[in-house]
Amino acid sequence: MVPVFLAQWMKEKRSPYLVLIFCILSIVATLLFGSSTGMKIKVDAFPGEGLTAVEVEQWLDRLNEGGSFDFTLRSEEKALSDVKQGRSDMAVKLLKDDYRVISVMEGGNANWVQQHLQVIYTEQLKINAVAQHTNDAAQFRDSMKVYLEQPPLTLQSSKPTGEELQSYNMGLQMLFGFTLFLVMFTVGFKVNAVTAERVSGIWNRVILSPVTKTEMYFGHLTYSTLIGIFQITIIFVLFKYLLGYDLGVNFGLLFVISMLYIVSIVAMSMLFTGMFKTPEQFRAFFSSVVPIMPPLSGVYMPPGTITSEILLFIGQLFPIKHAMDALIGVSMYQQGWDDIYLPLAKLLLMTVIFFGVGINLVERRNG
Amino acid sequence: MLETVELSKSFKGKTVVDNVNLYLERGESVGLLGPNGAGKSTTISMISSLLVPSQGDVRLYGKSIVKNPQEIRKVLGVVPQDIALYEELSAYENLVFFGRIYRLSKTTLEHKIQEVLEIVGLRDRQKELIKTYSGGMKRRINIAAALLHNPQIVIMDEPTVGIDPQSRNHILETVKLLNREKGTTVLYTSHYMEEVEQLCNRMYIMDHGKVIASGTKEELGRILSSEDTILLQLDGYNEAVLASIRAIESVRQVEETVQGLKLIVTKQSRVLSAIVQCAECHGVQVNNVHVQTPSLEDVFLHLTGRTLRD
Repeated sequence: MVPVFLAQWMKEKRSPYLVLIFCILSIVATLLFGSSTGMKIKVDAFPGEGLTAVEVEQWLDRLNEGGSFDFTLRSEEKALSDVKQGRSDMAVKLLKDDYRVISVMEGGNANWVQQHLQVIYTEQLKINAVAQHTNDAAQFRDSMKVYLEQPPLTLQSSKPTGEELQSYNMGLQMLFGFTLFLVMFTVGFKVNAVTAERVSGIWNRVILSPVTKTEMYFGHLTYSTLIGIFQITIIFVLFKYLLGYDLGVNFGLLFVISMLYIVSIVAMSMLFTGMFKTPEQFRAFFSSVVPIMPPLSGVYMPPGTITSEILLFIGQLFPIKHAMDALIGVSMYQQGWDDIYLPLAKLLLMTVIFFGVGINLVERRNG
Repeated sequence: MLETVELSKSFKGKTVVDNVNLYLERGESVGLLGPNGAGKSTTISMISSLLVPSQGDVRLYGKSIVKNPQEIRKVLGVVPQDIALYEELSAYENLVFFGRIYRLSKTTLEHKIQEVLEIVGLRDRQKELIKTYSGGMKRRINIAAALLHNPQIVIMDEPTVGIDPQSRNHILETVKLLNREKGTTVLYTSHYMEEVEQLCNRMYIMDHGKVIASGTKEELGRILSSEDTILLQLDGYNEAVLASIRAIESVRQVEETVQGLKLIVTKQSRVLSAIVQCAECHGVQVNNVHVQTPSLEDVFLHLTGRTLRD
């Protein structure tokens, strides 16, 4: 086993670019996509007919209250021109007791803005309607203001530990997502050395030596596993200690999940190795199939975005889905062994099946 | 020392090696000749225990190695047809790897690496990466890797395919050195007849998975002892001329070559005048006639009806 392992390491020393490139890609992708997820949605707004400057100001204050949107007052001409030329997705025309969303296409952020406008306008118009039926509208508005600022019932949320409840950390999800996604390539291409050596004849030469087949597999698979673990560890350590990401308190558990995930990816790559005759075929298949695994597993989307039963089922077939569930559980919700045993058990099961079928296929091809 | 007994191999119902019987005595150099697809590499794979025979047996010192391949693996060095080396590593690093898999100690390994590099003549270039080597140099390191553990038997599967004449000569000299000076038993497969003639004491000729002839060069030559080869250069010819020549009773075979026509004819017959007459009848001038004793290439042509490189 040792000579096979050392030969892979010697090759790596000669050409370490693959691992370095995927490490850098993980970091860049996380910083690029992870940081943009917490940003406010910017919306241009302009006043419609019959709206005074004070009323416009009041509407903008109300619309910006939630913190998720940034409504900015602009001239009608500029706002519409930007929409027409594709510089912004939409603009909102504010009316006295109504609004208009001007957008070149439906869907995306326009739906979110539409929902937000609906909620705020409905609430405000209800207050206006009640105020019209009171004797003293000014007094009613004052008392409403007091009620809203000091409600008789308040809801306080906290973590089970009593700490302040934080909002969902999409940046952290992106970090895990991109790291697990890109490490699949590193590991897959390392396992592909088995096919390359079979094709070149090195595999047969080793078979004729005192080294056993089990040792050969162990040498290759141990190396691929360790290189994957090395890549994940580098990225997690970098983000935790250098970029200040909060990976939770149980770093050891994260390491165990990552290790199990890498082993399952090694097994999956072994399965693919058994399916193809040449390293080129493996690379082509791997590069086409692996990128569709994270989106199908909902890795790049906020939780609950995928609702289709079929897609949810397909996602269950990929190791990345279960590793993400476990990593997010441990880092964001302080889950322990008892909470994450199910995704870990699924990863383990996949590993056993993939290895069993994969090695069988490789041996049949050699036979 | 080593023998195969009615060795056969079939893939998906197609027989690629059919009842092959061959043997190697200790210290012998034996050639296995045949065109591409003759079944040489499959036979070698079964002898070296990489493939399990569909039928028959491989015996080392009389003991079957089919169920106990470790016995032959200990004494065997295989030089594969492909360059089975890590291109990204240097020649030295490759040899370190192949030495390690044979569990050679550090000092023995270092000594053996320098010895085999000396044999293949690449000691001064051992630190260079394999991917920077020429095809011939790669093949020489391919051989060196098979010699590290002092094998008693070396099987070489077409080790000179696609290389320059200088490297080819070097490889042939290496094989001679191994066999004649170090006493290594060599099984050498090739489709270059002249290599086998030069290197081997005995040879087996394979075609379509079967051994069609075997023996020493002289024994094989006797197959055509009653025949001569005539090289005929004509001033142009057509199918009618060829048909007429084929129709001559003493002409056994006619083959078109770059130089002209190659005829295998019955010895000591008055065939030459008949051929010249035939050419003149069709208005074709005979430019040159060369009569020679049949070579092993001719023997192969005689046995199979095609040349080795077909």
